[in-house]
Amino acid sequence: MTDPLVLVVDDDPDILEAICDILGTESYRVARARNGLEALDRVDAERPDVILLDLMMPVMDGVTFAHALRKRPAVADVPILVISADGNPQRAASVNARGYLAKPFDIDALLAHVAAICRRGGEPSRAGL
Amino acid sequence: MADHGEPKGEGRAGDGDERRRGFLGFVAHEVRNPLSTALWSAELLARISAEERGGARGEKLSAMCLRSISRVRLLVEDHFLCERLDAGGVAVRRDAVPVRDAADAALERRPPDVGQVTVDVAPTVLLQADRVLLERALDALVATAGRDGSAVRIACEPAGDALALVVAGKPPDAPALEDPVKGSPSEPRGRALALPLVRRIAAALGGAFSVAEGRYVLTLPRPDVGGARQDPAAYP
Repeated sequence: MTDPLVLVVDDDPDILEAICDILGTESYRVARARNGLEALDRVDAERPDVILLDLMMPVMDGVTFAHALRKRPAVADVPILVISADGNPQRAASVNARGYLAKPFDIDALLAHVAAICRRGGEPSRAGL
Repeated sequence: MADHGEPKGEGRAGDGDERRRGFLGFVAHEVRNPLSTALWSAELLARISAEERGGARGEKLSAMCLRSISRVRLLVEDHFLCERLDAGGVAVRRDAVPVRDAADAALERRPPDVGQVTVDVAPTVLLQADRVLLERALDALVATAGRDGSAVRIACEPAGDALALVVAGKPPDAPALEDPVKGSPSEPRGRALALPLVRRIAAALGGAFSVAEGRYVLTLPRPDVGGARQDPAAYP
């Protein structure tokens, strides 16, 4: 069984790098996109198991991406976890997300949410961190 | 006339409140991204082994931590000064400041991504300004005009009774003089408030600030010397 693939979508290169570093040490496979448009391409090509989605991005924002995703039958059910600095958890509901993490969130909270969505269960391991 | 005054005033106050909420929302959002990477990289550095900390991953995380903290610092310092200037909380000096000295100081502090900087100002040229505020403005202008390796030229031009300090380089990416509001594009180097801060500094110094075609123009008064204005012909 292959490790779950997590697509991280954020326009901030350091955010992308840090989250991919964190997930990589937990044996997740990671893909990255800098905006919603790039993310749609990655979703079509790789069908991730979960999408970590920033909302405020140039080119195509997270809300527009999520609405476009839900219209693609092959990937419409891919779960979304919103990661945002806008401090408004209600926006996660607007994209029918499985969860919302407000930046700056704890590393363990991120791992716990991703594990739960990927049905890994249990407490996130700190091994390799 | 009077009966239209109050509603208009309330309308303006309402617009101002909305802009201020949008501005503060932008600043909060802009700080949280680098704050996140500062915290995460520091925590990861604390969790990994000493051996790994000394390797490539440790170097990457250390660099990210420093970069993120620097970005937060710029944003916080610019925001605090914006707020203090808005509130009239800065005691502004009005000294005769040698422009060349202030420009050279900004040159010394320029960020690493700034291209070649040329200061084309005679050492005798003076502006009436607060030296600290003038240097903050020049820091912001050099960083903005010189980003992505762009060359920068600092010069002075007569502007009626005043003097225009012209910083030429890369134009701003977006309408950048107004305060950004929630949803405005992020600035990955922490300089999102640079030009709004210069606008406030110009006002505090009794001058003006404008941008056109890659020329950032800070117009400030000439100093009174011995009760008389300096000879305009002395300025280039």
